[in-house]
Amino acid sequence: MSRILTMLVAMATIVVALAGGVATAYLVGGFVEAHGFTGASRLTNIVFLMLVFVMIIATLLTLAERKWSAFMQDRVGPNRARLGIPGLKNRSLGGIPHIITDVLKMLTKEDFIPGMANRFLFNLGPLLAFAPVFALFAVVPAGPTVTVLGQKVDMVVATPDFGILYLFAIASLAVYGTALAGWSSNNKFALLGGVRASAQMISYEVALGLSLVGLFLTFSSVQLPALVGDVANALSPATGQGQYLWSTQVFGLDIGIPAWGFIIQPLGFIGFFVASFAETKRAPFDVPEGESEIIGYFVEYSGMKFGMFMISEFVEVVVLAGVTTALFFGGHNLPIFGEALANNAFMQEHGWVYGTILGTVFWLKVLFLIWVQLVIRWTFPRFRYDQIQSLGWKILLPVGLVNVFVTAALVLWDPSLRALGVVGILEIAVFVALTLSKKENSEAGAHGDAHGHDHGHAAPAGAHADPHPSAAGAH
Amino acid sequence: MNVELVLFGAFALLTLLSAGLVILARSPINSAMALVSTFFFLAGIYVLLWAHTVAVVQVLVYAGAIMVLFLFVIMLLNLGESAHRGKPTLSRILGGASAVGLLGVLGITLSRVPAQPANLGPQAQATFGTMASIGQSIFTQWLLPFEAVSLLLLVAMVGAVVVAKSRI
Repeated sequence: MSRILTMLVAMATIVVALAGGVATAYLVGGFVEAHGFTGASRLTNIVFLMLVFVMIIATLLTLAERKWSAFMQDRVGPNRARLGIPGLKNRSLGGIPHIITDVLKMLTKEDFIPGMANRFLFNLGPLLAFAPVFALFAVVPAGPTVTVLGQKVDMVVATPDFGILYLFAIASLAVYGTALAGWSSNNKFALLGGVRASAQMISYEVALGLSLVGLFLTFSSVQLPALVGDVANALSPATGQGQYLWSTQVFGLDIGIPAWGFIIQPLGFIGFFVASFAETKRAPFDVPEGESEIIGYFVEYSGMKFGMFMISEFVEVVVLAGVTTALFFGGHNLPIFGEALANNAFMQEHGWVYGTILGTVFWLKVLFLIWVQLVIRWTFPRFRYDQIQSLGWKILLPVGLVNVFVTAALVLWDPSLRALGVVGILEIAVFVALTLSKKENSEAGAHGDAHGHDHGHAAPAGAHADPHPSAAGAH
Repeated sequence: MNVELVLFGAFALLTLLSAGLVILARSPINSAMALVSTFFFLAGIYVLLWAHTVAVVQVLVYAGAIMVLFLFVIMLLNLGESAHRGKPTLSRILGGASAVGLLGVLGITLSRVPAQPANLGPQAQATFGTMASIGQSIFTQWLLPFEAVSLLLLVAMVGAVVVAKSRI
């Protein structure tokens, strides 16, 4: 009972912290717009979104990943580092002191450069791995545009005309860091890791781009704020994922099925999520690292340079969750009651309260998707190299192409997106049925892996039986 | 002296520097990385020309995809620094001659470009270089050339598969 209570308190703390952060971001944005110059809120958004939210979540993820892996492996997880401060009664504090010790270790460890390494490229590698990943979040809208202190404030750093192409362009640069790190270390294992990383990332970029074309067709835009959209209010009809496919009014509140990306584009969602998961190079797509076989492209790195590779992986997790939320889970929009909230007189009067509620909704969705990624990372065994390549080229690519044609035909036939919604819900039903039938097979003892539906037939995963190294601490 | 001019000067200088590094670097991997930065600075110049979409496509396609493939091949073959340097072989002489010829042609062309930029009018400037206007012109006015180029890419792809994998 006390465990459930502790969890409830922890969750409430997270929600309050998120809401406080979003409210601060909106109020500061409104303040600098009113007392500074026009567009100053974009600068504070850089600080709040990219430095505060993304970096703090990524830092806490280093702990969350260990805790979650321990939970899934029936261990306790990190609880040994304790602060000897009298008021704390020497508690483990959920493992938070481990973050401090991690940072101290990385900052004080010897910065070793191998003798035969290319010094310039060796030092450039971690920077090239971290910088693009960090820059990715700039185009993701984390909240609605509201009026604060008489000024329009939005929760996005940049809204370029080419929108999501920025994401593709910058994400495709992340491979240079890993490739150069692998090459310049002058170590055969590191080189293998770098070559594997570049091959994998080139392969999945194609599927990644193709999986989103259906979404562009549906909402006829490539800009993330337009794709996220807004709910209907007195002035304008609903746009983007703010609109309903079917809706009705119950006691003055609107409920219905929203036109979220994963409902109208389930194939696109799965393609995008799998492809970008492969781009993050986390298990089950972690052959470039492969701790148990080649250690990875960063084998020669120590101290903070290794820390940059590690933190860039966690930033990637946060960014992937944010982009997926914006593209496929309605961004900051509520699934139901959105219109009632938007048209509430109090909310219209106090724009920052409205922004805070929806901004918190966005970050909660992000946390949910981060959790999904952690579960996937600690559930699946590492795929073989040929499985990764055939999943990318033989499954995701044709599925993406079919999705483009089907979506184009359906949008042309029924611009209200309802036909697309029906097909999407049918597709989801098929996925669920396939997954359930797979589960019965594995319970019958055919082979004990819970492979996903879309790559279950690639090869029996039981073939490679190496247990995944559980020592997240060594990672 | 406005900001655009300063930025153009910086980008042009850096483009020339990194392009020079591409041909002067001894290690192929340094050459490749210099080429990547050349593409970046070129993208900056495109932005100054109001061609944002071309700039981002330049980074996406050339820096993000094609140069990664170059790097991949260099790493896979583990190419070292070129051993015989400075020996005038026939291919080098021909290559140098064609480069000088290209420079001449470019010089003649540039000398005939009007000094004043064409005035597109306010309406064209508002949409110039946006994805919507580029898409419009690709899929209406230039549909046939666009499809022909994509067909060419398909032919090249099929050709590569046939050459590399004769027994499928």
